[in-house]
Amino acid sequence: MAGATIDHLVSVTVFIGAILLFISLFNQTIQTAIIYQRHRYIASKCTDLLDNMMLNPGYPMNWSISGEDPTSFGLQDPEFTQYRLSPFSLMRLDYTSGTPVYYPKTGQWYSNITVGFGQSLLVPYAQAINYSTAAKLLGVNNTFGFSLTISPIITISISEVRTNPLKISVNVLGTGFPLANANVSYCLIIVKATGGDGSYPAYTLNYGTNMTDDEGKTLLDFPSFNGEEESFVIIAYAHMSGLVGVGYHENVRYTESYVVPFVADFENGTILLAHSWDVHEGSNPAEIAYNATFILLTEDFTLREMPLGVGAIGKINYGEGKPYQSVNISTHNPGILAITYRKSAVESGIVLMPWGISTMAFPVEFGGYSAGKEWVATDTRQVLVNGIAYQAKLALWSLEGYQVIS
Amino acid sequence: MMRTVEVLLVIIIITAAFLIASLYAVLPQPRQVSPLNLRRLALTTLQTLDVNYDLSKTVFNETDNAAWGKLQIALSACLPPNIVYNLTVYEVRSTEAQLYNMMKSISNAENLGVGSDAASYLVASSNVTSQVVREKIGEHGGGGTLYILNCSDSNGWWITGYTAQKLAEDLYNLLSPYFQAAIMVQNTTQLGQLLNGTKISSSAYENVTNAVVINTLGEAVPIPSGYYASTGVGYDSVQNSYARYCYALGQRVRQYNWTFASIVGYPMYYVCNTGLFSTDQNNWGIYGMKQVGAAGFNGFLRGLDNQAYSYDSNWITGEPGVVYLSSETLNYCNYYGIYPSPYHTSTRALPTSIINTYHLTVTTYIFSQTSNRLPGAIYRHAPSGGFLALGLARTPDIRLTALGLLCDYKPRIYRSEYTVAGTSRLIILQLGQVGGV
Repeated sequence: MAGATIDHLVSVTVFIGAILLFISLFNQTIQTAIIYQRHRYIASKCTDLLDNMMLNPGYPMNWSISGEDPTSFGLQDPEFTQYRLSPFSLMRLDYTSGTPVYYPKTGQWYSNITVGFGQSLLVPYAQAINYSTAAKLLGVNNTFGFSLTISPIITISISEVRTNPLKISVNVLGTGFPLANANVSYCLIIVKATGGDGSYPAYTLNYGTNMTDDEGKTLLDFPSFNGEEESFVIIAYAHMSGLVGVGYHENVRYTESYVVPFVADFENGTILLAHSWDVHEGSNPAEIAYNATFILLTEDFTLREMPLGVGAIGKINYGEGKPYQSVNISTHNPGILAITYRKSAVESGIVLMPWGISTMAFPVEFGGYSAGKEWVATDTRQVLVNGIAYQAKLALWSLEGYQVIS
Repeated sequence: MMRTVEVLLVIIIITAAFLIASLYAVLPQPRQVSPLNLRRLALTTLQTLDVNYDLSKTVFNETDNAAWGKLQIALSACLPPNIVYNLTVYEVRSTEAQLYNMMKSISNAENLGVGSDAASYLVASSNVTSQVVREKIGEHGGGGTLYILNCSDSNGWWITGYTAQKLAEDLYNLLSPYFQAAIMVQNTTQLGQLLNGTKISSSAYENVTNAVVINTLGEAVPIPSGYYASTGVGYDSVQNSYARYCYALGQRVRQYNWTFASIVGYPMYYVCNTGLFSTDQNNWGIYGMKQVGAAGFNGFLRGLDNQAYSYDSNWITGEPGVVYLSSETLNYCNYYGIYPSPYHTSTRALPTSIINTYHLTVTTYIFSQTSNRLPGAIYRHAPSGGFLALGLARTPDIRLTALGLLCDYKPRIYRSEYTVAGTSRLIILQLGQVGGV
């Protein structure tokens, strides 16, 4: 009798244990399948959202240049179809990776894309579209997080092989392969510290073309130019079979005081020209004279100068009571604002600011951070920004958790 | 003991069930769960390579041409390193049994792995001459004549940067293929003949009634001297104004069922005739022109509505600012291949109240209505007459006028066969992903 009871107890205990174990195992399989299904859904959403951003210009359609806040978010260039993005819409995105810059004389914070000395784009947060706004306009607020990265396909790295006479090495690379036998058009801007009216600096533009070798490299010789004596910047465009990339390199003789351009107004193209000490501080600040010009990229990949009006030349000083200067870019054709500056006949430099993100192939990073998320789906498109080839990559993740039982 | 054995048997059965179920419940690989959209990537890659028609030019080269090597380099350079590709170009035939004939294939891998996707792209040779036949307005009866006011004895206003003659020429080039007859009205004498209902050309297709009349002089409207400038007909001696002429013009528009087009600004704000007003100027220093102000267009509307003439100088237009092409107009941009800027600045937009006041119907919204303003539209009056008014700030864009008229009349375009033998190439880009799971 006792043996039967023990047998009964053991069998029931083992049976219940086994049942619980198998329920857990079956449940595990079902949960995994449901999570996979959710991942699949996130991937589909990622594709849809990326197309939604790339294939509509938003509303109003000219929000990128009017300075208005959009009521519908989209990055397509309103003058084109397909995957062509507006260089000005991209300018208005709050750059995720940049350290915000504060300018006390306007009392504003600025979104910051800086890729090197004298190559920056500073947009006031008041006019930049932030991640939260974009998420709301896209209808994914509190349901999905995203990160949009738009980076140039062609990378042009430029370095100095020799400074006197100047010899430059240009290396053109794609995302997966060097761009061999590509045409390279370049413009060398030389700062003439003593060449302008009165004490203002001047500049000369020198154009040329060349072709890369099998490794995507080419050398540019400037036999009559001493790179040790004068500041200069070289802007190079590489193009082949529809792919176009931009690169630049500058060598500045004087960096203790320089001009920092801030975008003030998109509609009127107003750019504030600030003294570097007021923005980044530093040592030995001094009054500097500047000369600003606007350079347009033409369809044949040459650069054309467009003189600016009031404020194109002037002087700026640092500290209280010394106002900033401003200049208006009267076009919404993308180009480069080049500002030469000088302190003395031997201390000069040049800074560049893109007007339209593509002219200097600036990258764009916009959105949230995906670190620590359970599953991040990504998708990629090849896009054109004013003819420059970019790759747009969207990372998307769910903000609603990943549990399968609520 | 038997019960324990039975339970063990049950466990064995459930284990077997689980194993069998697991065998069939194969979960997908992560790559399949969250795939890169290779089809879209392929399509956008082809579009990028064809941005300046480089791809279109390359695929029509001989297969041993160096351009193919460049295409392969560009393709390798723009795709991520973990993507392999196969680009195949087919010649499109139309007369043989085999529609697609493979011409050339380039690839950077022996195979495209377990999963791949492809996009197709059709390009045409630049040598293709495709014929386009346009339906003529009026070819099925009812008008079909376009009159463009190109009066050599009149000056324009608010057409800054252009001359009326240049605008007339451009309009002629844009619109003449769509009309049975397109006739330039060379001077105010011919305009006077038209107002009298007399033909001014020898064209068999000219028909004064149901015509479209485009005024290229901006805010000024040409006035013939003589009868139409006389007191009680074109001249209001009480108000010392030629607003009466605009009233007479409105009556003629109704009488002949014209569609009168004003290309920019406040319609009929001035009247002009360099002979008639040789010593007068329009208050802004332009001689040969007299200001009639808002009374001109108010008079025109009264004439069109067959109301009695009265002098009304009330300014009726407003300034809605930036205005956008309507969705209908945007659609027709593609159909007719006319692409003006999608947004403009309007400073002379007509109020919607004129619709009721003068018994009008808006048949085409060129620009979207903003509040109670119509920046650009075509209005019809029952039973006859109509006008197009673009209340935009200078400088005029005559493409808007052309597009507005085409949107209203909707002439059809018949395109010839496009895939002519040897003139089209089909490009297939197949992408595969390597590495990862």
